[in-house]
Amino acid sequence: MVGVSAGGMTLGGMGTVAAEPCIRPPGALLEGDFLATCIRCGRCADACPNRCIVAFTEASGKDLAMRPGRGQLGTPVIFPRKQACMLCNGIPGEHLLCTASCPSGALQATRKDNDSIRAHVKMGTAEVDLNLCYSYNGASCGVCVRACPFEGLALKAGLWEKPMVDASACVGCGLCERACVRYPQAIHIRPRHQATRAETVVPERGQKE
Amino acid sequence: MRVIKLQIARRLVQMTALALLLAIPAVSRYGNYLAARELDQNIRKWDGTVQGRALKAMDATFRSLPKGEKERAGEKVRDRKAVLSYTQSLRGGPWSVQLAGLSMTDPLAGAESVVAGKKVARVLVISLIVPVLLTLVLGRVFCSWVCPMNLFLEITDRLRGVLKLLELPPLDIKFSRTTKYALLFTGLVLACIFATPVFGYIYPPAIISREAHDLVFGIFDGAEDGHFNAWMSGLTWMSLLILAIALFEVTLSRRWWCRYICPGGALYGLIGVARPARVVLKKEKCTRCAACVVVCPVGLNPMINRMGMDCDNCGLCISHCNDDALAYRLGRAKQRETVAGETSTGRSAS
Repeated sequence: MVGVSAGGMTLGGMGTVAAEPCIRPPGALLEGDFLATCIRCGRCADACPNRCIVAFTEASGKDLAMRPGRGQLGTPVIFPRKQACMLCNGIPGEHLLCTASCPSGALQATRKDNDSIRAHVKMGTAEVDLNLCYSYNGASCGVCVRACPFEGLALKAGLWEKPMVDASACVGCGLCERACVRYPQAIHIRPRHQATRAETVVPERGQKE
Repeated sequence: MRVIKLQIARRLVQMTALALLLAIPAVSRYGNYLAARELDQNIRKWDGTVQGRALKAMDATFRSLPKGEKERAGEKVRDRKAVLSYTQSLRGGPWSVQLAGLSMTDPLAGAESVVAGKKVARVLVISLIVPVLLTLVLGRVFCSWVCPMNLFLEITDRLRGVLKLLELPPLDIKFSRTTKYALLFTGLVLACIFATPVFGYIYPPAIISREAHDLVFGIFDGAEDGHFNAWMSGLTWMSLLILAIALFEVTLSRRWWCRYICPGGALYGLIGVARPARVVLKKEKCTRCAACVVVCPVGLNPMINRMGMDCDNCGLCISHCNDDALAYRLGRAKQRETVAGETSTGRSAS
């Protein structure tokens, strides 16, 4: 069996590792309900036109040092650093394709007009690392702001293109993280179910709109 | 003759399911390239390779569909949006599939999702309608007509005959048939307690569905990186589990998985327990030659006319009967004795 990767599945997916915070496709139920309802059929991954939805396995998360925890094996996940959700922009169909293809209701069917997306999609929230971001450290960049599908609402450009996140408008698509030219990324998506503290990143020093 | 046709039809359906198993992920990749406007570039770049030919063939198919092409500046070009919406109609695998407008999910997936999630989603009910209705009427036919694992095991089952010819008779350890129902019940209880579906990880059609996706995606990913021979690179060790089951069946216990273990088969059997379409015996024609007993994949005895939940209506006993004594019947089990005297060969359940 040459070439069969050991890219592993812990049998039964009942690993003892605690659940890894990860980004779920749009329209997903809250993590606990999602893990219970999702049948791991992979139809959302088939449907995703941007190939951002992948099955969470040890192989797929290896590059980002992420391992599927308890019950997460084989569930659909988005690694925005590799490929982010483009919210089915420019693709025919009324709904976000992954949500329309889900047979179990783990992804709730969501229409893809801007109002529905902003009302129902919350994959996570963008968070800027002020120590890494070029724009906060003497160079003007602004790549993430231009990548944002809700530019001016979710991600605003301040003086010298400093990105400012409005957590209430951010849907967590991850296009900013995908676009960030800094390595490691200065802007990243905090998964929804990891949100424990105030989500807005408000630049404090010398920053006014 | 009619009966031989039935077996040919069964093989055709099995082959179609097998082809779809590989075609669906390929179509998904085709749609990805089209969405990213990389399709024409990839077809050009991969010219002459299997991946390039596959893309070309899919492109030709989709363009030949109505609305697949449109005129632009006197030239026929691909209608990108129409083709993209065509690719959207094929998704998933035997665990849960979307075929054109029809969404179908394995009742086992539905059952554990409901039990683990403690609620019933409307989309799930819709996608269970066709499989459950078919099973209610025809019984466990998913196993014999669609399941790719059954097809694979039917083929490996022939190896037992080869072993016998070589005078190395394989063992045939019998287990209890109720094992699978116990496993089904245990799994559902576990899913309920841990709020996580469990069968998807061990149920062969689900594994094969995932592995087929990994295989095809691996082949295309390899092409993207310039490796055109990465045939097995996408597979995981779950494929070895499938092979291990096959090896166990060949050497130790005939059709072990389907007869004694498979929780999906158990659920299909339970749903189809009162199916009107069954195999029945005409006692006065039967010469007790036992050809049907030898051939039955699930190890039943059609001669004693008790085809319960385990029978998957594959019809092999009917085609191997030398005396025309077995036939499909539509009707309640009780009517068996009254129809036994008829001379007609009955209606086909296909």
